[in-house]
Amino acid sequence: MKVTRRDLLVWGAGAAAGIAFTPVPWKILDDVSIWSQNWSWIPQPARGPVEVKQSFCTLCPNGCGLRVRTGAGWPVGIAGMSTHPITRGALCPLAFAAHQLNWHPQRLRAVRHQSSTSSWAAAQAAFSKACSEGKVVVIDGYAGRAASQIFEAFAEKRGSYRVAASPETRALAPYESWSGVPANALGYDLENAQTVVSFGAPMLDGWGAPGRFTRLWAERAAGMADPQLRLIQIDASLTRTATKAWQWISIRPGTEDALVAGAARFLLEEHLVPANGPMPPLTLVDAASQTGLTTDAIRNLARTIVAKPPVVAIAGGNNPAVAALNVALGALGQTGGIVLRSKQKKVYESADAVIPKARAVVIDSTVPWDFVPRTDAEIFRFAAWDGGSNKAEWLLPAPGFLEELTDVPTAPTSAVETYAVAPAVAKPTAEVHSAAQFLASFDAELNSTDKIIHARCEEIFRARAGSLYGRETTPVAQVASAQKLEEQLRSGAVWVGEPLKTASLKSNLLKCNLKEWPADTRPERSEDWAAEWPAPVLPPLALKLYQESSLREPPERKTV
Amino acid sequence: MSGTPARYGMVIDLDRCTGCGACMVACAAENNVAPTPQATPRTGVTPMLVRKVSNGMHGATRRETFIPIMCMHCEHETPCVKVCPQQAVEVDKATGIVMQMPQRCLGCRYCMTACPYHARYFNWRDPVWPAGMEKSLNPGVATRMRGVVEKCNLCHARLHSANEKAAAAGRREIDMADYVPACGEACPTNAIHFGNLADQNDPVTREAHSANAFRMLARIGTEPKVYYKSKDPWVRALAESASGPGKFSERPAERLAASASEVHHG
Amino acid sequence: MASAALTDSRWIARGEERTSLPRFLLWLTPWAALLAVGVYAAFLCLYYGLNQTNMDNRFAFGLWIFLDLGIIALGAGAFFTGFLVYILKRAELRPILNTAVVVGFICYSGAVAILMIDVGQPLRAWFTFWHPNTHSMLTEVTFCISCYLLVLSLEYIPLLLRNRQLRKLPSFLVFEHQLHKLVPVLAAIGTLLSFFHQGSLGGLYGVLRGRPFAYREGIFIWPSTFFLFILSAIATGPSFLMLVTATVEKVTGRTLVPREIYRRMGFISGVLLGIYVAAKSIDTLVWLNHTSPSVGFAPWQYYIHKPFGTPVLFGEIVLFGLLPAFLLTYKKTAAHRAWLLSAAALACAGVLLNRFVLTVQTLALPTLSFDQFLEYTPSWQEVASFGAVIAYGVIVYSLSYRYLPLFAQPKGDDSNVSGH
Repeated sequence: MKVTRRDLLVWGAGAAAGIAFTPVPWKILDDVSIWSQNWSWIPQPARGPVEVKQSFCTLCPNGCGLRVRTGAGWPVGIAGMSTHPITRGALCPLAFAAHQLNWHPQRLRAVRHQSSTSSWAAAQAAFSKACSEGKVVVIDGYAGRAASQIFEAFAEKRGSYRVAASPETRALAPYESWSGVPANALGYDLENAQTVVSFGAPMLDGWGAPGRFTRLWAERAAGMADPQLRLIQIDASLTRTATKAWQWISIRPGTEDALVAGAARFLLEEHLVPANGPMPPLTLVDAASQTGLTTDAIRNLARTIVAKPPVVAIAGGNNPAVAALNVALGALGQTGGIVLRSKQKKVYESADAVIPKARAVVIDSTVPWDFVPRTDAEIFRFAAWDGGSNKAEWLLPAPGFLEELTDVPTAPTSAVETYAVAPAVAKPTAEVHSAAQFLASFDAELNSTDKIIHARCEEIFRARAGSLYGRETTPVAQVASAQKLEEQLRSGAVWVGEPLKTASLKSNLLKCNLKEWPADTRPERSEDWAAEWPAPVLPPLALKLYQESSLREPPERKTV
Repeated sequence: MSGTPARYGMVIDLDRCTGCGACMVACAAENNVAPTPQATPRTGVTPMLVRKVSNGMHGATRRETFIPIMCMHCEHETPCVKVCPQQAVEVDKATGIVMQMPQRCLGCRYCMTACPYHARYFNWRDPVWPAGMEKSLNPGVATRMRGVVEKCNLCHARLHSANEKAAAAGRREIDMADYVPACGEACPTNAIHFGNLADQNDPVTREAHSANAFRMLARIGTEPKVYYKSKDPWVRALAESASGPGKFSERPAERLAASASEVHHG
Repeated sequence: MASAALTDSRWIARGEERTSLPRFLLWLTPWAALLAVGVYAAFLCLYYGLNQTNMDNRFAFGLWIFLDLGIIALGAGAFFTGFLVYILKRAELRPILNTAVVVGFICYSGAVAILMIDVGQPLRAWFTFWHPNTHSMLTEVTFCISCYLLVLSLEYIPLLLRNRQLRKLPSFLVFEHQLHKLVPVLAAIGTLLSFFHQGSLGGLYGVLRGRPFAYREGIFIWPSTFFLFILSAIATGPSFLMLVTATVEKVTGRTLVPREIYRRMGFISGVLLGIYVAAKSIDTLVWLNHTSPSVGFAPWQYYIHKPFGTPVLFGEIVLFGLLPAFLLTYKKTAAHRAWLLSAAALACAGVLLNRFVLTVQTLALPTLSFDQFLEYTPSWQEVASFGAVIAYGVIVYSLSYRYLPLFAQPKGDDSNVSGH
């Protein structure tokens, strides 16, 4: 039998029609769809036990409490710690995506020496050499930690220790220079304030921990025509805080000092304030012309400021004029104002000042990326993420987010002392060392972070003051042993101290040595020696706020 | 699950919203949204999106407000459910949640044209995480692939956990403290109140019917389950497109431009 | 014919004259190039994803959907001519029937090809058949267009099988003969299916509650746009066929159909267009005065964004609607070919404008009170794919014209046994 072309055609057509009646094409179709639902190059979450651990955020000195969900041993989700008495479960947008920071493409994983890869051994050798040749300055961005104690001890013998303070702490610097009380020992008693007048401080947008003032404002002012807490915001443009404030006063940019002087003058002349103080040299008319407000507007503002005491004035940074206003308002050492929170006496040097004749500068990873010290010394910069600055000779990979045990000292704005211990929740994926570990390797006498934390827990126990806030609230006096206290702290409890009665302490704070109205004595931050540095390294998902919405402007790239 | 179906919804207090964006980030992290450095306001995946809106004035009379927008979980004639050609989205009878199934979605995007709130987002590209970051993925939520639509699903994974917890304790009803969506949990000012609108005893239900509460585009008639509230009349007037017959004011509040580096002023 | 080394004369029907093969290939070359670029663009979209286009979350539908709706409207001439010839027994339109089938086939297969690239997950396209949503207009569209493409293929196959060489296979001849008996049935099915999918394409937008610009009242489950789309499609289908035939006559330099066809097709198109304009005007008035304001959208707010002002609405109804309707039906103008074809072009432009307004302008207009009027420009990949469909159409039509008896007359011609 001859198979013809026609036969083939017929069989071919028949087969094609017949296949449609078998499961084959339908199964293939179904399989193809299932394949499209399970592409191998799309990552899936890992399977593994899910646990919840408590720790504290280390992205800024506010140390907000965290509940960290872990899956298969890695952090997979962040939420606030609702039992924290001060941060109360509130977090800023960055914290929610901070667990992904450790895999940021700009994560520093190897030692870099002047833009080429180096090693820890080389860094240690260079540092050792530097120590032998001259003074070493250590700059700390998060003072008060166990690591800070290590820095201080190291620097005592070999050079100096300086603190790069947060803006909230910088705003307290004038009181430090007038009374001798360290800025770190002062806090803002916002819980008792009824009027807060902010001169450019972003009270609802990044000032202190969100759980602190933002939550307070939400509970006592938001949506109320006559709020219990009056927020008066002085801002040149309509900032986030200004749009939500009870009153927004718009002045020409940079004229806050003039406004403060004008308002203070009126208050003092009309005896509307309880305390006396130096009279500002500026007249009301001058203040009006500088700020762009009318004299009546300034008078009204002044009356409003004192209408519902206690009142406190808050500056966006180190502003002596605003500090002098607080002196005039009698806010120092009073309930609802600037209060003493610890008996610390030691005043720390600011890192903003020029560093004279140092051989090497060690910058801890907690110092903000855009901080560049005024020095020509060899810089050993510890960082977990590479912001791209080429100013430092040595870039040394430090532990990232929640990758090492650390402790959480009192937050910059708190009115009472607090303490907590932040356990590590993630594992480093490269060889990392913190600055404290690095320095400790050069000096056997220095204690380890662990030991210092242990000593601090004992100290708190012995003092028998304050309470522990964990699953339950327990006064320290009722805690059975130092070991129990330490256990609680290491599993996420927070110790909160008693408020200090400033008046009864007869502190120097009450008699701030202010003979005359301050001239503008803020140190200039000259930028002529700075190279270009890019925007801060943010948690990747936080970029949505800048790029995928109209909510925020992207962070500035600073260039010279 | 108990006999009475739930109707989960929210009341968002716009007087409390400071526009911080914590809800946006928490939502993206909870739902395993990939970081997209090249995305723009029109191509990004933001199941929770906070919009900055102004009253159109400039100078001292200018006012702004922040409006978190997410899927409104429309109860009546749900636009996206009606138009999906293959039933990849449905209103869950037991909870009222409008459930999107990315695995069934074919990516025709008809639902996106149907949604008046623009609360649906398309995966224009495959999600890509930097090396190692996949270890940070939330185990409760499946990742999606390119070419499918996604949106807010009221953190259904958390509802699932709450159900499991209740079942383990022998209860039929979940404890509402166990079921809080990521945005509500994240909000530092507690502006997002989540609750069961079918429960008359739920404080959220009372709030939803209070005088200052309103819903976006309520006149279209989709019965959204996300309510807003504000004491300011100008904010409440944002609910409807034309605030009165014959009166339309163009509100140049914000621009969703195609480029990433846009300048944002109202 | 000159016996050049390169010839395909055995494929060309006896007695028909066609240009030489090298010249034909030359004609095809630029279209093939356009097709190649478009296929590459489509490949990029399939491989890299739809980020290759400029569509985004606010313009989820773009150039391609406009293209789909447009060519399906223009391709309505296929079913409508079949309806006229087989159901209404208008035998004088037979000469244009085959070309109508080919144009229809090209339009629908092109639309389906574009749809396959337009969806994010083409491998799951069949889910619509497996999990259909009876409330969704798009389900209806998918089913009807798939079935109708099948019908068109079945109508095209007999034409294919009448190729000189293929006819030599007896089984093909028999098959073709059997299919031929089926053609009136296919025409009826095609009419029914087309009625529904042309309507549903209009329904796609008419049901959008969330887009008051597009939302319309209706009858039972069908919004008015359902009926308006059918009307506009059957009104402009014949016009498009006229334009295609006139173009082919120009390019080939031949008279292919009796002159009378143009006048008749024009008249049908004009009358239907007139009915459409009347219906659309009523619909627009209802929408402006009742439907849109009742959901809080003052209608004039749709027209304050330049350049999409009221001139667009005026253009749709008067310039590209009423005017061509008049020109096509008025004796004096309908007698002249130039007027007829210009009017046909206006009518086709009108239907394209209508589809554009509903697909693109709907998405550009704000819904939330704080939204803005948006802009969208297609990417080169989108435009190239569009170009590929046009190139595909030209190539398929050129091949059909060359090798198949598209315009054969029923005059007892041997080459045309079946007689149509």
